[in-house]
Amino acid sequence: MRLPSGDARRAVFAPLDDGAMRSEAVVRRLGSAIALGIIVDGEQLPAEQQLAASLNVSTVTLREALSDLRSRGLVATRRGRGGGSFVSASEDALVELSQGRLRELAGTDLRELGDVRAAVSGAAARLAAERASTGEISRLRESLDRLEAATGGTARRRIEGRWFIDVAAAAQSVRLTREEIELQFELGQVLWGVGPVAADPAATVAAHRRVVDAIAARDGALARRLTEEHIALVTARLVDAHVRIVRRGRNRPEPARSFPEAAGS
Amino acid sequence: MSGPVDDRVADQAAEVISGVVERVFRTVLEVRDEVLAAYRAALARGDRMCERDIVALRRPVLNRLGREPQAAVGMGVVVAPGLLADRDLQLEWWQYDTRPPDARRGEPSMLEVDLNPASVGFYDYAAAEWFVVPQRTGRRHVVGPYVDVHGTDRYLLTLTVPAVADGTFLGIAGADLPAASFETLVLRELGDLAADVVVVNPEDRVVLSTSSRWLTGSRAEFTPADTARTLAEPDWRVVTTGR
Repeated sequence: MRLPSGDARRAVFAPLDDGAMRSEAVVRRLGSAIALGIIVDGEQLPAEQQLAASLNVSTVTLREALSDLRSRGLVATRRGRGGGSFVSASEDALVELSQGRLRELAGTDLRELGDVRAAVSGAAARLAAERASTGEISRLRESLDRLEAATGGTARRRIEGRWFIDVAAAAQSVRLTREEIELQFELGQVLWGVGPVAADPAATVAAHRRVVDAIAARDGALARRLTEEHIALVTARLVDAHVRIVRRGRNRPEPARSFPEAAGS
Repeated sequence: MSGPVDDRVADQAAEVISGVVERVFRTVLEVRDEVLAAYRAALARGDRMCERDIVALRRPVLNRLGREPQAAVGMGVVVAPGLLADRDLQLEWWQYDTRPPDARRGEPSMLEVDLNPASVGFYDYAAAEWFVVPQRTGRRHVVGPYVDVHGTDRYLLTLTVPAVADGTFLGIAGADLPAASFETLVLRELGDLAADVVVVNPEDRVVLSTSSRWLTGSRAEFTPADTARTLAEPDWRVVTTGR
């Protein structure tokens, strides 16, 4: 059943099929879902057995991941009756999470991520220009109106991530949509919940509006080119931010509010 | 378009399409009848419907989902806001979670959604097309095909009917049918019909096509002159053309 608005929870708890089944993969998946607001502050996670089964990891791996999430302040565990693991999504924890991830990734990882995003989101934009219904195009515009009105980095990232996913859905492709969801999860690790966000949120909204205009004009080549250009720009910002963080070194933790480079995605 | 097709062929194509849709609706209408019966039972005991009356529809819904012959992957009941005495919003919707191409495998699970209007993930079903249109028109409706981003990760048609008793809108009953299953069913029944058939929804989106010239999900702006038949419910056009 299609929702006018809703969540991608099913994707959050879908099996991790990268073969690795490491606890880091679980941390990444759940961490970005928390940052995206797919699972929200205060929400209880499924029971350990059930969660491990749906993610296709062992309970040992899951416990390891939960303990990692706890140490990052993203999950709190209450014991006893009515207990379990609860989401605790503080902005600071999210900022910490993305900075840590930006530090451990290499510049080439970020470039690779940008390459795949350009391929997936670019193709999605092109196909959306051919296939999107007028209803879908208006919904894309409405979501950019919400993006423009949103305050706070976390809210902006959530709306923006969903906008990219909706473009892929407007392309009428289940597989591109699934890829886009995965990419937004991955991207969430470096972008979502980032402090003062937007170096320039207005420019990001304007860039996305140009893509929707191209889709509405049925100009697939333009929609694709604009999308690719925007992603190249964001990738460049991320690489710059990464280099800066690594060069500052581990001994001087990044202040939580000094990370404006990664605005927009 | 490459040449006219005779009336008989156009009729046959339209019959096949509406026949397949009709058979899914038949099961959905049975589910609707369960809702109506529950409503009347509540009236008879001098009460408004309650949450437990909807929960009691679980078995009937699951039975029909399990034996629905057209490969529906989801089915259920979604209640009109304010209908129940003890809850504002309520739904009883079950679906197979298997990813394509496995349409139905294992046990269906209940769609669990956030019905708290104050929360971020609020599932605002009363604004969804599959709810609003049957409510407004009093007629059955088909949404799609569309990518079910927030649900089952499939390319779907959602078929819904309003449940109305004594002029009161109680909610909708509905089913999710994968576009792929619909195609298989129709192609089988079309057999060697001597024409290409394209089904287009009101958004000019191809629901089904027997030719690679029109791909499912793409837009095809046919002129009224191309349209061989128009179905009533759903509001689809069937275009037939010589091969």
